[in-house]
Amino acid sequence: MAVNNIFGPIDIATSGLRAHNKHMEVISSNIANARTTDAGKGQPYRRLEATFKTEDDELSGVSLDKILPDKSEFIRILDEGHPDADSEGYVLMPNVDIPKELINLNIATRAYQANAAILKRYQKMVETTLELLR
Amino acid sequence: MSKQINIVDLLESAIRAESLRQKAISNNIANIETPNYRRINVKFEKLLAKAMESPGSVDIKALEPETYQPKNTPVKPNGNDVNFESEIGHMIKNNLRHEAYVRLLSKKYRQIELAINLK
Repeated sequence: MAVNNIFGPIDIATSGLRAHNKHMEVISSNIANARTTDAGKGQPYRRLEATFKTEDDELSGVSLDKILPDKSEFIRILDEGHPDADSEGYVLMPNVDIPKELINLNIATRAYQANAAILKRYQKMVETTLELLR
Repeated sequence: MSKQINIVDLLESAIRAESLRQKAISNNIANIETPNYRRINVKFEKLLAKAMESPGSVDIKALEPETYQPKNTPVKPNGNDVNFESEIGHMIKNNLRHEAYVRLLSKKYRQIELAINLK
């Protein structure tokens, strides 16, 4: 997407809104599945990480590139009564760290707000230009 | 290539196109959760460019904007491809264009008025 028109900043801010909205979805999934011990294949839920990308050397906005699994170790806790516990009574829990997710949630919210602010401010700017046409 | 075109007709049909686009965007947002709905867009600028390039005189008044389904946005699991943020972006662009055209039109009318009032 080459940006050479008056609406460039609007397209870029919109791409930011979309990307951060999607990021928010990934974070919700992580938080919702923070205690999911069975995500199919006998494994607990694996935390997802969103990566952003942009076309280099160009003012082209941002997009969510890939949603990849976090490869860190699952957390092993002792819970003998748990149906998914192994013979020693240990259960594998998802590698989701709620405080970390909440910080990411804050970042995503602020980023979304910042893009919305750009959108609003740029709209005001164009309106200022249009005032000259009065 | 310059062509004799009536600026009032041109602005009028552009405003008509923006009104239709506003309707299309409202429709898209209204159908944001409708399964298998594909977003609607309005084709006008391309039609205008084509009309300007073609030989002979252009009848701008007869130029009608058309609706079409681009089908180039990512589809959600329910077969719907409307993205709320994109629609908002389109709406803002549409509003600004509409405002510019309306102001140009009123400026043009004022010019005509001025010419009439010259004594």
